[in-house]
Amino acid sequence: MSGVQLKDIRKSFGALEIIKGIDLDVRPGEFVVFVGPSGCGKSTLLRMIAGLEDVTSGVLTIGGKDVTYAEPSQRGIAMVFQSYALYPHMTVAENIGFGLSLAGRPKAEIAAKVKEAAGSLQLTHLLDRKPKALSGGQRQRVAIGRAIVRNPQVFLFDEPLSNLDASLRAQMRLEITDLHKKLGATMIYVTHDQVEAMTMADKIVVLNGGKIEQVGRPMDLYNKPATPFVAGFIGSPKMNLYTGAVAEGLGCKTYGIRPEDLTLSSERGRWSGKIRHVERLGADALVYFKVEGLGDMVARTLGSATFLPGDTVWATPIPGAERHFDS
Amino acid sequence: MRRYRPIVVGGISLAIAAVIFIVPFLFIALQAVKSRSEASRLNFLLPKEWLLWDNLVAVVEARNYQLLLAYFNSTVITVFSVTILVVLSAMVGYVMQRRRSRWNGVVQVAVLIGLMMPPAVVPTIGLLQSIGLFKTMSGMVLIQVAYNLSFSTLLYRSFIGTIPRDLDEAALIDGAKPWQIFFRVVMPLLKPVTVTNIVVQSIAIFNDFTNPLYYLPGKENVTVQLTLYNFQSMYSSQYNLLFMNILLVTIPPLIVFIFFNRQIVAGMTAGGVKG
Amino acid sequence: MVEAVRPKRKSPYPLWFFLPAAVIYGVFFLLPTATSFWYSLTRWDLMTAEFIGLENFHQFFSEPFLVQGLINTLIYAAMTSGLKTVFGLLLAVLLTSNLIARGFLRTVVFFPVLVSTIGIGITFTVMMHPTRGIINVALEATGIDGPGWLTDPALALFSVALVDLWKGVGLATLIFIAGLAAISPDYYEASRIDGATRMQQFRRITLPLVQPATITVITLSLIGGLRSFDLIWAMTRGGPGFSSDVVASVIYKQYQAGFYGLSTAGNVILFALIAAIMVPLTAMFNRREIDQ
Repeated sequence: MSGVQLKDIRKSFGALEIIKGIDLDVRPGEFVVFVGPSGCGKSTLLRMIAGLEDVTSGVLTIGGKDVTYAEPSQRGIAMVFQSYALYPHMTVAENIGFGLSLAGRPKAEIAAKVKEAAGSLQLTHLLDRKPKALSGGQRQRVAIGRAIVRNPQVFLFDEPLSNLDASLRAQMRLEITDLHKKLGATMIYVTHDQVEAMTMADKIVVLNGGKIEQVGRPMDLYNKPATPFVAGFIGSPKMNLYTGAVAEGLGCKTYGIRPEDLTLSSERGRWSGKIRHVERLGADALVYFKVEGLGDMVARTLGSATFLPGDTVWATPIPGAERHFDS
Repeated sequence: MRRYRPIVVGGISLAIAAVIFIVPFLFIALQAVKSRSEASRLNFLLPKEWLLWDNLVAVVEARNYQLLLAYFNSTVITVFSVTILVVLSAMVGYVMQRRRSRWNGVVQVAVLIGLMMPPAVVPTIGLLQSIGLFKTMSGMVLIQVAYNLSFSTLLYRSFIGTIPRDLDEAALIDGAKPWQIFFRVVMPLLKPVTVTNIVVQSIAIFNDFTNPLYYLPGKENVTVQLTLYNFQSMYSSQYNLLFMNILLVTIPPLIVFIFFNRQIVAGMTAGGVKG
Repeated sequence: MVEAVRPKRKSPYPLWFFLPAAVIYGVFFLLPTATSFWYSLTRWDLMTAEFIGLENFHQFFSEPFLVQGLINTLIYAAMTSGLKTVFGLLLAVLLTSNLIARGFLRTVVFFPVLVSTIGIGITFTVMMHPTRGIINVALEATGIDGPGWLTDPALALFSVALVDLWKGVGLATLIFIAGLAAISPDYYEASRIDGATRMQQFRRITLPLVQPATITVITLSLIGGLRSFDLIWAMTRGGPGFSSDVVASVIYKQYQAGFYGLSTAGNVILFALIAAIMVPLTAMFNRREIDQ
């Protein structure tokens, strides 16, 4: 297994710079997730690591080797595409074995390796089928199988779960995490879904506008966000954020408090407001209310709470959970 | 090296394509403006005297302004054929696509036959003669409609598939009768494919040589292509006039191409690629 | 108690919409085609028809100049179809790659499709003149003795096929360009990671996935080639002799000579030829289709 190092990686299209100096160290065997809003450059960065996009300046090393300008097939990587890119005219077996067949390996060797990869992904009974006869989850496993068979140093995943429905996504998340544990491989995974990031990553890289906002372990990003952007991005529902005069009054440029860090009471508290909606999710309830002089606020409480729209409610932050940002 | 490849290959392709595809047209244009003696040499030298206008007039005047008559006839045939064709084939394509009927299979086969099979010319001549439409413009128009219905219907059928049925049903609820739904709701939405269809069919009918050859012989109803064909024997030694004629015949499609490039491309690929 | 009778729901898509088209199509196309089968078995002068059984067909398959027409039709169709498919795809690959003046080239390649066939025929006949035509003049300048393109009986059909290719390859290219554009770039990227060379990408991704377009081009050009008349007539009139006659030109020649029954027999043969080739071919294509 190899690590990946990015040193001041930049990319420009003409005068427009879209990746603005990325420094990153991915340790061997780590599961790193690039996360961020649409257009932040996470997919572009992944494709640059893969060699599908050019690097304008900077140095990229994989396993200690400088691969900044190397061909994708020379980098020791394998990639799972968002669309899976399964060749529709080939069977599952042919899809998985395609790379080996291109390299001219003997048929027996290809068959053996394909069988091995298929076995580890429960695809053995599907080897003779064509992609159109497979379900979404099965197609994804074939795409992963094709990557495994390359024995890569680094696995790259480009939003592999966005084409699946919610229940399948949850299941595939677990499968990919299991795969990581089993292979111990270095994996770089791109998603816009912070749930995937939080649940799967050893390390999360939050990207915004072509730059890294913060790098860290999931719980570190949750507990100690460096910027309001990261604070608002990680955690669901979003952290309550306030700027302007209000924040200055509280001693910072941006003030944040998570909905789960607010205690609600119908009698007393620090802030009060009239409830606009209550969303009942079963175990939890989300209470939306507006505080005079502060703004809209969301608080999370027990599902059994009896708050109703129109009621007045008081909210108090849990000590130590308040966030003050200088930006 | 990788960066220069597009330019190098592009340059070579450009040169070869230019020679192969442009030279014949340059040849036509060049001979068309030369004098008779210069044109007979059939070379690429520039003319000593530019006789563009003189040659043009000579060709137009030939045989009592036959070319003008031909242009008129070709245009009339094209306009009438295409108009009837568009309306009729849209109607067929519409019902074919929308209605689940036993007739659809029959119509489908009929369309395929029209696309593949050659028309039986002599029996058609016999038929036209018996109803008095042989050597007439009306007969020619009906023939062109009949022969081009298949392709046209196919175009409409696949395009109508992209118009949601909801619109028909909304109109029905609004009280529209079936023919009103078609002419007032669906037809207007077919404008893009209609434009394409008109352009493609017009070019095909205008350039058609075989059918007027069989069904419109004679001087009165001569078409542009027939005129050109006849000129070949008449002007066997006057290459300059011959090529001026070719040039004149090439101009209308060229103009249409310049204005309707996108529609032509869309039409050819839509009819061509399975859909 | 009287139950309300539910009137049968009328479809908003009336069947009579088929009628006008059906009448014109039926009378002016289907009817003559149907009667042609009868008339091909007769000696005919448009007014009276004398039944002579299969004599017309017998003539077709025994008279050398008629048989030649049949053989030539098959050769011509196969040649033009094959050439258009190959060159159409090559041109399409070229014109979808990263090239300067790509749009201009596409226009230039496509324009001949729209031009009068007679005009093209005349032009190339002049250019192909054995001694004064610019093609042979240019060849002579490089030291090669240009052949008699249209005067050598062995070459005439082939020369016309070349002009047919020149005129028609633009349409094939267009169809292939559309087919190539439908192939997702993801496939090529995935194969790059797998280390595929350009040739491997072409053979194992492009060719299989452009199949729908290939089928279309082959089908259209084969049908066109079998029915071809305009260009051959404009350039050689089936000559020299009858070395470049095809069934379509034989049909015309027999019509001109007044042998209407024989001419119609030619029509029937052409009909049968196309059906015999295209129906199995289309069935085969339908079976081998790839879903994307």
